Amino acid sequence: MAIGVKVMRRPGAQVSYVRATLKGMVLTLQHLFRPKVTMQYPEEKSTRDWTLSPRWRGTHRMLTDEQGRAKCVACGLCPQICPANCIKLVPGEDEQGNRYPLIYEIDEFRCVFCGYCQEVCPEEAIHVGVHYENSEFSRDRFVYDLERLCAQTHPVSTLWDPSDPKGE
Amino acid sequence: MPDDVVNLTIDGVPVSVPKGTLVIEAAKQAGVLVPHYCYHPGLPVAGLCRMCLVEIEKQPKLAIACATQATEGMVVKTQAEQAKRARTSVLEFLLINHPLDCPICDQAGECELQDFTFQEGRPATRYSPDYAKRFNPVEDFGPDVLYVPNRCILCTRCVRFMEDVAKEPVLNVSERGDRAYIGIHPDERLDHPWAGNVVDLCPVGSLLSKDFLHKARAWELDKTAAVCTGCSQGCNVTLDTRENVVVRVRPRPNLEVNRYFICDHGRMNYRWMNRGDRIEAPLVRRDGELRATDWDEAVEHVATRLRGAAGRAVALVSPRASTEALFLARELLGGGGAGLDWTGAFQVVMGEEAPLPGVPDLALRAERAPNGTGAELLGYRRDYPAVLAAAESAAVVLVLDEPEVAVRTAGALIYVGTVLPEGARGAEAVLPIANVAEEDGTFVNRDGRVQRYFQAKPAPGMARPAWWVLSELLVTLRRGEHLASASAAFDVLAERVAPFAGLSYSSVGLVGQRVSVGAGVPA
Repeated sequence: MAIGVKVMRRPGAQVSYVRATLKGMVLTLQHLFRPKVTMQYPEEKSTRDWTLSPRWRGTHRMLTDEQGRAKCVACGLCPQICPANCIKLVPGEDEQGNRYPLIYEIDEFRCVFCGYCQEVCPEEAIHVGVHYENSEFSRDRFVYDLERLCAQTHPVSTLWDPSDPKGE
Repeated sequence: MPDDVVNLTIDGVPVSVPKGTLVIEAAKQAGVLVPHYCYHPGLPVAGLCRMCLVEIEKQPKLAIACATQATEGMVVKTQAEQAKRARTSVLEFLLINHPLDCPICDQAGECELQDFTFQEGRPATRYSPDYAKRFNPVEDFGPDVLYVPNRCILCTRCVRFMEDVAKEPVLNVSERGDRAYIGIHPDERLDHPWAGNVVDLCPVGSLLSKDFLHKARAWELDKTAAVCTGCSQGCNVTLDTRENVVVRVRPRPNLEVNRYFICDHGRMNYRWMNRGDRIEAPLVRRDGELRATDWDEAVEHVATRLRGAAGRAVALVSPRASTEALFLARELLGGGGAGLDWTGAFQVVMGEEAPLPGVPDLALRAERAPNGTGAELLGYRRDYPAVLAAAESAAVVLVLDEPEVAVRTAGALIYVGTVLPEGARGAEAVLPIANVAEEDGTFVNRDGRVQRYFQAKPAPGMARPAWWVLSELLVTLRRGEHLASASAAFDVLAERVAPFAGLSYSSVGLVGQRVSVGAGVPA
């Protein structure tokens, strides 16, 4: 059984693609002459308009003293405050009777980058870093040990300062 | 109204206390903790830290709560503006020379200076940042005690403990004024058998235990009420565990037994609880070899051996076993329906007796067995060598956690224990059990006081509490009911053994309860 079909007759201006194409080309050509917003990562890591915030919380870094030893005294506050339970700390005592971390490991996979460890640290030893390039070839490389944490060179986070809430 | 009771009001809470009670103790009853350093209920009052200053109505000056006796109608205000200001000032003085080394201080987290400073201290110092704090090097006081003079607040609890309780006055306050520190006699060491208590008494991190140094932070510890296994005194202790490892033993106050103290022998007597070489699966002898199996089969295997046995049965038990386990072992071999001629004995290691002179009837006892009295009440004998000799011709020998055992027998040897010693390798079956830190149970101390201890950590592998293992055997032999807990095992014990009649876990509680008098208990 045949179905009755009503064929619409639209005006040429509505059916033709030429008009729409030209409209699109105009927009494209306009963009050719506008200032560029694309950043050429990884050659470029920041531009005049954009840099990583100094408050960025990335992978950790342990600061060291003048002798190159970690400033950590193994007080145990960071594993206690850590909401992801990603810090492993075993305290020990060196020849001078100073307390220091025998084992200090951070599982960066498990870390939620809240920055509490930096905030709680009484010795200003552990910091979250202004850093985001963390790729590795194997998963176990994401457990950073003390040596690796001390060897990091990236800047450390300033975190949020309540007296300067907007970072000005 | 009786003459020996006085009524007073503390922070608006009315309390009645016996005459002669100190205001600080009365305040505890009103639920008010007056901050204090030099005061300790187990020591003579010194009244020198001035931390417990409170306002008492109709008295012109503030009074120290630790040296003021409560009187009728007294109105004490611990939170009065003047009292709070005075205490804040005391804290400020204490903190002038106190180092800011809480991150490396072992006391952090359980430090009274930290707690009260948080509660009512000044948030910042008024001294210039250039002020050089007094510094003295760390001193070695004795076998287990380190003294960090910088942290000391000179409460003199340690001095008074050594002088009035241990009666060996080797400590004093040397120098005067702000140069004062705790000194030790130049020719003496802090090596009294009870000297370790000064570490617990120290309200700050000034006296430290070398054994516990840097081992754990206070907030990582899980605390479990337990009873010391060091001797027959049965001191109440707290087992501090960190990630299921016992790291410290501390006294738990019990005025009837050990007051506030434990001896150093008991304090150090915990390492064996963390032993790694434990039996983790039941072993039964098949084709001449001990093979690992599951509990159903192991219990069935042992039950089969017991069913067919006739003649003499011997139980060699450890006086460290719980009363419940000792009772069920007796039921298994000697109870109704066993058809065996039962004897049991335990071996007691003897050591040197070391009393604490300042506390009556408290000593590290020569008899190093926490449950010797319990074993005796249940009919176990002390003539271990004779019973060991009798084991040679016995049909069944049950050894309950006696790791020193060297038994030779013609019959079936059933070894129920935590570790597998050389002497038990010829066993017919080896059943792994939990140790003291891994189960609930009771000990009976030398005064006949039944005291409970609680589970502090899980048992390794398939090890189960001894009461469970033995009750499952009884169930398989159709001579007992399934027991769901140590408490249920104790209820059966209380029902069947006269001295324990009327006792239960809830009545024993945390402080213990004596068995019925005149039941063979030493007076």
